[in-house]
Amino acid sequence: MSGHDFHPLVKQLLDGDITLADLPAELRAEGENALRLLAAVDRTDVSVPAVTWRVMAALERRRRRVLPWLLAPALAVAAALILWILPAKPATPAALVTVRFVLVAPEAREVSLAGTFNQWDAHATPLVRTGPTGVWTATLTLPAGQHQYAFVVDGVRWVPDPGAPAVDDGFGRRNSVLTL
Amino acid sequence: MRPKSKAADGDIVRAVLAGDRERYAQLVERYRDRYARYAARMLGSADAAEDAVQDAFVRAYDQLAQCKDPDKFVGWFFLILRNRCFAERRRDRTSASLEAAEGVAADDRTDGGAETAERRRALQLALLELTPDQREVFVLKHVEGLSYGEIAERLSTSVPSLKMRMHRAYDKLREQLRDHT
Repeated sequence: MSGHDFHPLVKQLLDGDITLADLPAELRAEGENALRLLAAVDRTDVSVPAVTWRVMAALERRRRRVLPWLLAPALAVAAALILWILPAKPATPAALVTVRFVLVAPEAREVSLAGTFNQWDAHATPLVRTGPTGVWTATLTLPAGQHQYAFVVDGVRWVPDPGAPAVDDGFGRRNSVLTL
Repeated sequence: MRPKSKAADGDIVRAVLAGDRERYAQLVERYRDRYARYAARMLGSADAAEDAVQDAFVRAYDQLAQCKDPDKFVGWFFLILRNRCFAERRRDRTSASLEAAEGVAADDRTDGGAETAERRRALQLALLELTPDQREVFVLKHVEGLSYGEIAERLSTSVPSLKMRMHRAYDKLREQLRDHT
């Protein structure tokens, strides 16, 4: 036992097996000291309301990745029907804009982009590390309009774009907004 | 009919396994905050705790069919979260920083003044210096308020071995906090 160890009876006090009054007088001061240590224990609640949404969104994203494969034969038939029914008229192309997304994250092992343009799939749009300084980039061509998005660092941490305006997503997180 | 919010864990697990995926949200809602506190004290950061709890719930969903006793879902979930927290600490051993402790303990300066806040911060930092096993038994007993018997059951270990861990933790904390006690 080193000089810094609590007396065994004081450890029993900390365990709640005995009370301060049970200690011999010469151990009372040490006992009071030990109880002060326990009084500093932080028992405050930690509230994480966004976890419910984040978990269910993660499960939903996974389901959506599976669903297109299941639906592919049906969609192929539907597409064929539409082509057959529609008159041969050239479609008006929607305005498309090329955008470069950049995040500086030197410590990140991987970064991706999730947003309204990829159904919030955290795996669909990975960024590429462009150099030793930790600059991650991705270039996308998106339809004109408003898009919301966030960076996903190391697959778990959702980070709004520091260079873009953000809005509350209604679940305690911030989504970045891009208007093209 | 029993309201959904009062449904037993086992009933919800069986419903999810039968295809009612949305009901999993009830389990998340029911346990997320309770276990976020455990994770926050284990990891020293509320943000890391949030990520850990989220990952653990997703992992638990993936493995739900392996939950042998659906009525004991929460004990089974706890072990998944525990593994996640232990893995996180191994990966991130060097991040036991002041910022980390502040992330957990700095916000509550109102109920005892700066001295209490400082003491809490110091204790949270000292907890991060314990081994994960020591820290865990301390958190479960003194933060979560479980008895040694309950902890032993949860971790499938014996009360004497838990007490040994805890008593080593007391000594280490005393050494770490000798300027604060």
